[in-house]
Amino acid sequence: MSLDFAGHEFARASLDHCVKCTICETQCPVAAVTPAYPGPKYIGPQAERFRHGLSVDHSLDYCSSCGICTLSCPQGVKIAELNSQARAVMKADHMPLRDQLISRTTVMGMFMTPVAPLANMALGISPLRVIVEKTVGVHRHAPMPHACSQSFMSWWKKRPEKPEGPRGVVVFFHGCAGGYFEVETSKKTIEVLEHLGFKVLVPKQGCCGLAEQSNGLFDRASASVLKLCDDLRAAGKDLTIISSSGSCTGMLKHEAHEIMGVSDERLRDVGTRVRDVMEFLWELHEAGELPEDFPRIDLTVPYHAPCQLKSQGMGMPALDVLGLIPGLTVVESGRACCGIAGTYGLKREKYAVAQAVGKPLFDMVRATNPHLALCDTETCRWQISQSSGVPTVHPISLVHVAYGLSELRQLIPAGA
Amino acid sequence: MKTVVIGAGLAGLVAATRLAQEGADVVLATKGLGGLPTSQGTIDVWGYRDGKRVEAPLDAVAAAPAGHPYAAIGVGAVKDGLAWLAEHLPDWLTGDAAANVWLPTAVGALRPTCLCQPGMLAGAGATRVVIVGLARLKDFQAALIAGNLTRTGRVEARAITIDIPARSGEADSSALTYARAADEPGFAAHLAAAIAPSLGSGEAVGLPAILGLHTPGVGRDLADRLGHPVFEIPLPPPSVAGLRLNDALTTLAKAAGVRVILGSPVTGLKAEGDRVRSVTLASAGHDRDLVADVFVLATGGFETGALALDSYGTVTETALGLPVRVPDGDLIGADYWEAQPLFAAGCAVDVSMRVLDAGGAVVHPNLYAIGGVLAGAQRWKEKSGDGIAVGSAMKAVAAIMGGER
Repeated sequence: MSLDFAGHEFARASLDHCVKCTICETQCPVAAVTPAYPGPKYIGPQAERFRHGLSVDHSLDYCSSCGICTLSCPQGVKIAELNSQARAVMKADHMPLRDQLISRTTVMGMFMTPVAPLANMALGISPLRVIVEKTVGVHRHAPMPHACSQSFMSWWKKRPEKPEGPRGVVVFFHGCAGGYFEVETSKKTIEVLEHLGFKVLVPKQGCCGLAEQSNGLFDRASASVLKLCDDLRAAGKDLTIISSSGSCTGMLKHEAHEIMGVSDERLRDVGTRVRDVMEFLWELHEAGELPEDFPRIDLTVPYHAPCQLKSQGMGMPALDVLGLIPGLTVVESGRACCGIAGTYGLKREKYAVAQAVGKPLFDMVRATNPHLALCDTETCRWQISQSSGVPTVHPISLVHVAYGLSELRQLIPAGA
Repeated sequence: MKTVVIGAGLAGLVAATRLAQEGADVVLATKGLGGLPTSQGTIDVWGYRDGKRVEAPLDAVAAAPAGHPYAAIGVGAVKDGLAWLAEHLPDWLTGDAAANVWLPTAVGALRPTCLCQPGMLAGAGATRVVIVGLARLKDFQAALIAGNLTRTGRVEARAITIDIPARSGEADSSALTYARAADEPGFAAHLAAAIAPSLGSGEAVGLPAILGLHTPGVGRDLADRLGHPVFEIPLPPPSVAGLRLNDALTTLAKAAGVRVILGSPVTGLKAEGDRVRSVTLASAGHDRDLVADVFVLATGGFETGALALDSYGTVTETALGLPVRVPDGDLIGADYWEAQPLFAAGCAVDVSMRVLDAGGAVVHPNLYAIGGVLAGAQRWKEKSGDGIAVGSAMKAVAAIMGGER
């Protein structure tokens, strides 16, 4: 059903608004670094007129789905969505095994966590990575998640239940990476929320299907996202749902609907209630409900707003919130994209493009602070950490420090 | 003071930056990038009046008829705006606000403008020119430009074409790709080596505006190498000259503390009494109320969707549903090249740039409108859009910070 939708429905709704101004082409980070991708207007609104359900140009596959084209379009054309749909149709009858595998984020976490030291070691063995590159098509130098020996849920279940806070109840959505690989980010988010006086509920939950969606596996992704909506709704009606997985939040807010055409009351309900954690903190600030007696943190740190956070059209709440901490200078990267775009930069044939896309960002990060960088989404953090050599954490980590829940030296080694 | 500026074109960017410089808390909400990346990268104030060339644009502004945006803006605010731009974008804008210059265009016409980019200036008044085409850049046809320039009777022009790739593996490169290549060291030397053998004495060299996207001085470097004056001719979009202004102004706004929300349209307002309390931002997932003390509408005209005409001939302002002043009679005339009444439709404002209703009363005392959404101008025919944008932005900010609310 989702693929039928991709073939001929939504894709054309915004098409006629395109005035061919080429603003999207000037902002596209992929077209800037390779002639293999002719640009979002050319491959989107222009090619779409000739498609009739079939692809006219396979360079479409070089689109990383970063979404900067849609974000920049002054006419409201859904360029990235159009291209994601066209790619799903193009790949439907020959979906590479690799793309089916790397989109199974939960499965990856489930298998790696129990054998974390072993899994991490294996991912560090170069000959093994060469074999993986040759057989599966995942580039030997592509950033890989670091498995934790304890999953977020197993930490959460062993934790004594907290009493109801004075601020009421919120639901936490951890996302696959926040469940298995970026467990620290999830813990810190919950600790900040509890510090603010919220009782946090964490229902058992699955994957949002974003990686499946971006690889064109729409039917599987639609099933995943609806299952997740059921999971999150089980925690209670009308509760605010908070996440520190910036891209998964975007899947729930708009991508599942706009790209795959999932029109379901359950998605609408969850999509309107979900908030990125920094967005939530900024809403509290605007309502005058955020304690802001932060101690001074004398630090200059680079911040990169990931594409899928920017595409939620809410500005950069992490910058706004961190701006409340005295002494802290957060420098926005001003760079378009880190290159990874979920699973794009892992792929053997796209790795070099992704590295070229990210290079200006890696340079900026290193030049701003060689010891610490901030970014809201997991795969982007892995990409920035690996390619710039600068440890990169979620912005909530500094809020956690500012509320006295951890110390700065846990983020930045002594003497640095 | 909390302010929200809606729209990121020339008017919105200037207003937001000026407000932040004056100490206001500024959110700039915009559904996409503004119009600057599609512009020629110059600042037009008034180019043609009654079919005649305007030599002194500020005199034309001072003589603007009642109902024209300039009549409310006044010559002082336009002058201030031009001075502010030249001061803040010294790498990219220069000129004498009192006099227009005539610059060659990408179809070989001579176009009047007020401020231009330093790298374009040598094109004004050049009498013997060589137009240099790039074989892989299809948006710049050197022979067409040289032929038309010669037909103006003011210029003796000839064309040459050189072939320097912007990047390997590409036979058809955009101006932007060339400009990025020209940001790299060494490109000017390649160009100079290819052009130098073809030059005769006393000739100025006209190139497409690709001499660096973010690096000022590439044209100067080339001119030094050639020992000839060099000038850039702006291209249709993707316009490198326009992008330079857009990027420089956006950087300036952010550095001044403006918080930019890109990618979400504003779809309405909530009022308390006659004052606007908030505007509604349709962000992904849920609407968000942007609460502020002052609001500035800088959304543009028909070309951006800020104004819309339906099949019954009704014109609406699409973001906030404000009253629109529409000329009487037919909105579209038979002659394509004549002024079209439709394009004079828009919001009417008082001398503080506050939106007025049909009876001439202020609609909301804390709501201002600037730029392309203002009623009363034939921007494309007058070549007045940039001056209106900058002047109205300066006027509104002065009123807001001066307390005229």
